[in-house]
Amino acid sequence: MMNLAALLFGCGFGFALSRARATDYDTILAMFRFRDLHLMGVIGVAITTAAIGLAIVRRRARHAVLGGAIDVQPKPVQPGLFPAGLVFGTGWALSGGCPGTVLAQIGELKLYAICTAAGILAGTYAFGIHRSRRAATRTQPAPPAHPSHATL
Amino acid sequence: MGGWPFWLSGFAIGLLVVLFAWIAGKAFGVSSSYGSVCGVVSKNSFFKNKPFGERWRLWFLLGFPLGGLLSAALAGRLHPTLRIGGFETLFGESLVVKGVVLVAGGFLIGYGARWANGCTSGHSITGLAQGSRSSLVATLGFFAAGVVVTQLLFLVLGGTA
Repeated sequence: MMNLAALLFGCGFGFALSRARATDYDTILAMFRFRDLHLMGVIGVAITTAAIGLAIVRRRARHAVLGGAIDVQPKPVQPGLFPAGLVFGTGWALSGGCPGTVLAQIGELKLYAICTAAGILAGTYAFGIHRSRRAATRTQPAPPAHPSHATL
Repeated sequence: MGGWPFWLSGFAIGLLVVLFAWIAGKAFGVSSSYGSVCGVVSKNSFFKNKPFGERWRLWFLLGFPLGGLLSAALAGRLHPTLRIGGFETLFGESLVVKGVVLVAGGFLIGYGARWANGCTSGHSITGLAQGSRSSLVATLGFFAAGVVVTQLLFLVLGGTA
């Protein structure tokens, strides 16, 4: 049931992102050049709507309709958030896509988005490998640490 | 090209975020689903633990192309294309260049999203809607680099789009 709901919601989000023109390269780039603030408006209204709705859901609903807790919480503050954001934003500007819109682009038969999606998968994989390697070296007694790695 | 006005688009996305939380109990965030895909092919424990180990994330990811397909089909513009609008005035029409730039851009998106623990959906929409400080910092990074890199691209490559 949860899987079907996730599929339907994914479909709804993909549809809405497509209608919002968030899947259009020129619209994204026009936002970053301050030529067309359409997408800024979309994001602003989405945040406002979600903020009001989530506050109501939090107050009224004890658990999710499909059962289980409502697992929607602010993400923890952690070091490196800003540089991480810069890395993401650079990719966003280069490709004109983000993780959700790229998937919707593939559905729209913008076939080039397969390259972007493959890149996102590779980047995700690389981070996972990087992170688990670092976790492994941390548990070993005093490795000959490189200063540039130790401060990350 | 068509599409919804900004207020309708934003309202639809915001409403979906709320319904997803209320009905399924889940937070709207797409980048974790890529970690779930990695978990299908990789034995690395990073991708087996929560949040990536959650099965629904794979179904969520599959829904997006369906939604895009439906949207394009209903708008009567379902034509396969390799053209990316203004991209070509910046980088030219070579398919090799296109592929390299998109894979590289995608790589930075994937790496950055995991490092930041979220992307434009999880941080900039769901996170900001909760007034989260971490999401504000991450979003400032997303947009700062987006603006600066785009301006630099147009300055150096001289696109006209």
